[in-house]
This record gives sequence, structure tokens and C-alpha cells, in this order.
Amino acid sequence: MSNKWLNKISSFFVSLKSQPMEIVLFLCASFSIIILFLMLFFVAREGAVAFSRFGSDLLFGMRWNLETNLFGGFPLLYGSIMVTFGALLIAIPIGVCTAIFVSEVLPFYLRDPIKSIIELLASIPSVIYGFIGLLLVVPFISSVFGLVSGQTALTASLILSLMTIPTIVSVSGEIISAVPKEYKEASLGLGATKWETIKTVVLPISKSGILASIMLGFGRAIGETIAVSMVAGNQAHTPSSYLEAVYTIPSFIATHMGESAVGSLEYSALFGLGLILLIITFIVNTLADIVVKRGVQHG
Amino acid sequence: MGSQTKERIFFFALGVPVVICLLAFFWIAATLFTGVGTLNLEFLTTSALQGGAFEMIVGTIYLFLGAAAIAGPIGVFAAIYLVEYAPSGKFTRIIDQAINNLAGVPSIIIGLFGYTFFSRQLGFGISLMAGWLTLALMILPIVIRGSEEAIRIVPTSFKQAALALGATKWKSISLTTLIAAAPGIVTSVILGIARVAGETAAILFTSCVIITRGLPASPLEPVMALSFNMYVQIVARGEPPENVFGIALILFFIVVIFSLVAIILRVYYRRKQPWLH
Repeated sequence: MSNKWLNKISSFFVSLKSQPMEIVLFLCASFSIIILFLMLFFVAREGAVAFSRFGSDLLFGMRWNLETNLFGGFPLLYGSIMVTFGALLIAIPIGVCTAIFVSEVLPFYLRDPIKSIIELLASIPSVIYGFIGLLLVVPFISSVFGLVSGQTALTASLILSLMTIPTIVSVSGEIISAVPKEYKEASLGLGATKWETIKTVVLPISKSGILASIMLGFGRAIGETIAVSMVAGNQAHTPSSYLEAVYTIPSFIATHMGESAVGSLEYSALFGLGLILLIITFIVNTLADIVVKRGVQHG
Repeated sequence: MGSQTKERIFFFALGVPVVICLLAFFWIAATLFTGVGTLNLEFLTTSALQGGAFEMIVGTIYLFLGAAAIAGPIGVFAAIYLVEYAPSGKFTRIIDQAINNLAGVPSIIIGLFGYTFFSRQLGFGISLMAGWLTLALMILPIVIRGSEEAIRIVPTSFKQAALALGATKWKSISLTTLIAAAPGIVTSVILGIARVAGETAAILFTSCVIITRGLPASPLEPVMALSFNMYVQIVARGEPPENVFGIALILFFIVVIFSLVAIILRVYYRRKQPWLH
């Protein structure tokens, strides 16, 4: 066993010697891994002080107060989850229906143009989404619900859903288009209508891919910073309704990093929150990948 | 007949969300276009010290060009490795997973990391350089994925012809596969630029300031950017959004132009590459 490994390792180094270009390519490919480790290490290092001092209170404490040195992020976690949940509630039905429609129902010559427009929607920067939100959605919400300020969790969810839809559409659209043509033809040949084929053949095969696209959308929504911080009202509390202002973890980091002194307890607490966010997105993205791969094997 | 009507109703219902998506885009575009009046050549070319946007525009261009110059080669090399060299083993799967995870890291975390690592640990400070490196991390997964696809669709017979003529593996890849894949690779880089041209969170702590005296003289100086300026003016200074209409519009144009070029290039070359049919 050990001999086999030794051989493997030595032949690896021999191959490195004979092909210098291959080493360069290999290093470039490994770059992403190195960066991820560095990212985890450095964000964790800066957040370590806050973690050792507050432990789980960093996530579940109710108060964030500079004077009393209390840093509890629960209202922020609550706000993040609330806004993300609201956004997904809107984005999932719209995104999944769009994906099915574009890849199964729409005539071929319309597919590329529509996909391109959705892709354009994805490329609009978040600061522009925030700007549009302030210009249109905030006054709209405040006039419809008779609120003093239209900067609410609902506003943030609406804007965020627009930003999440393209992710859901492109990922699940890709999976839906990848369903083998033969399967669909077999179903149609047996006399099923197109809708029945979608329902009984296409959707069961692509359901894991659709689930993965929703998870990726979740990852995108919970990490969104700029647009949310512009329209959510930014008040750290645990609101009972979507018509109140909220603060999310990423927008709190964005607005507080500038004022907190490097090395201070608040600075460390912000990195602690960042680490939590990083770990959440790691888990969600990894799960999404596993779900897609398993779905492909089964399909 | 009954099932056909039912089908029509279902398809109609499915079509509604699509229309919502399209309307959303045109609504955003139409809203922005109401601000076209605030744009004129003078605004574009006047220094920010005199109320123009010149340094912000150039700063934004500096930022995304530098980031693309860093991420481009690394991304293409990584893609070549993954398509042409990588053995199908555990480590390759880990690399693949890492690229997906990097693509999914929220930009604010990329910004936090850029600040602690590039600005402080490596000592680049709040600078163009720190911004380049930070944004490069966001472009990288896009370039890798796009280039991978471009390289994968090049027929192996191209490479085999070169190998048969006695070229080494690397030579045959760089002389045939890479050239055939070049349009796809360029497209992926442009797409990456479109993604980061309007990025705010990642440059918030790493490279931008609200006003500079002229353009940065070296990569170690801070820079102005359209997105950063919009954000700070609205959130930190509490200005009404109407006041940054001009900046928003320029940023929107830059991003949409890059995205459109990438999309058109992709559609065009997909049709043009004869070996795909």
C-alpha cells in the first residue's frame, strides 16, 4: 500500500520535471482552492476574538451596542432569513415557470433572445437595483400600505427576488434542456400531450436540478449586500411583519466596517458575522452541487 | 380537445412569469432612460472636483481592466488543466467544487477578505492594486467556466493533428485548441467584466474613496468608481437618488454594453463554428 503511494508520488514529481507547463496549469487550477482556504483562514482570524468572547451569542445575542461592548447578531440573522425567505417565495414560482416555459414551450427562435434578456437582468449591478428600488419600489410600497417609510423587508424581498430569478432560471433551464430528447419523444409518441410530457417526464427528471437552482438562489440572496442595504431601512430589531424595516448581516457589515477601528471588538464581531455568512454559503453551494450530481446520475 | 384547451391554459399560465421578467427589465431600462437628460459630454469629461464624473468613469475602467488582466490568464490556464490534463480523480473533483464555491461567495465576504489579505496583510492599502486582486477573485470562476466550455467543444482531431506532426501536448493545445477556443475565451472574460464593472461590496473597503485629486498615479493609490460613489452618496450621505441619476446611467450603459457584446459574441460564434454541426 505505502509502496504504491510512494510510486505514485514519485512518478508525479517526475512528470512535473518533464513538463514545466503542466505545473503552471496545475497551480492555476488549484488557485481557487488556495484562495478559499486563505479566505476562511483570514476571515476566521479576524473574527476569532469576537468568537472566543461571545461564542454563540454573536449569532443569538439580541443587542449590538458599541458602548456596552455587546455584540449580538440575532436581529441581523433574523433580518437576513426574513428577507431571503420573502425573496425566494416570489422568485421560486416565477423562476421555475420561466425556466420551463423558455426551454420547453417557447418556439426555438425566441429562446435565445429571451434567455439573453434574463441574462442581462442578472448582469445589472446591485447598486443599480438598489437605486431603482429607492426610485420606484420604496415610494410605491409606502403609498400602497400608507407607511411613513417604504424601506421595508417587503421592499428588500421584492428587489432581491428580481436579482434571484435569473440564477434560478439559468440553472434550472440548463437542467431542463438537458433532459434527453428521446425520453420526451417516447412520451409524445405514446400519445401524451406536451404538458403531460413536461409533468410526467421532464419535471421528475430535472427536479433535483431545480432544487439545486433554488439553493443557489438562496445563496445569492442571503449574501446580497448593496441593494438590500439601500432599500431595507436598516434597523436592527426582529420585526413581526414584512412592512417594517430590517437589517441583514451583509448590509450591516457593509455599513459598519468603515466606522469600526481595526482590531477593535466590533471589527472582530463584524468578521465573525462574515465568517458565519461564508460558512452558510459554503454549505448551501456544496449541497447544491451534490444534489445536481446525484440528479444527473439518477437521470 | 378538452386536454388541448387545458394545455393552452397551462402554457399561458407558465408564460405570465416570463412576461413579468421581461417587463421588469424594460421597466428598469425605461426608468433609467428618463434620466438621459442629466447626461452630457461635459458631465463625462469634467473632473469630479468640479461636479463631473470623469475620474469615476476612468476609475471603474481601470478597476475592471486590471482585474480581467489578472483573472484572465489564471482562469484560462485553469480551464486548460481541467479539460486537457486533469485526471478524473478526487482532487479534480475538489478543484471543481472549489471553483463553484468561490463563485458563490457573497461579494461582501470577498471584500472583507480583500481588505484583511490584500490591503493589510500584503500591505497594498486602500488601492487600485487591492481592488484588482479582489475583483479578480470574482471574475475567475466566470472565466474558468466559460473557457472550459469553449475548450471542450473544440474537436480533439485538431489537437491530434498537431500531436501527429510531432508537437508536444502543450504545443498542440496552445497552437490549435486555444486558437479555436479563443472567441469563447474572450467572451467569458467580457462576461466577467460585466459582472464586476458595477460591483460595489468588494471594492467598498479595498480600493475606493469618495473623491481623489485626479486619476491615481500608481496602482498603490486609491481610486474613484461609479458604483462606490452611487452607494456612498445615497447611503452614507443620504442624498436623494435623483442626484446620482447620471452616474447610475453611465454605469448601467457600461454593464449592459459588456453583457450584450458577450451575449452576441457567444450566439455568433456558436453559429459560426462549423465543427459544431
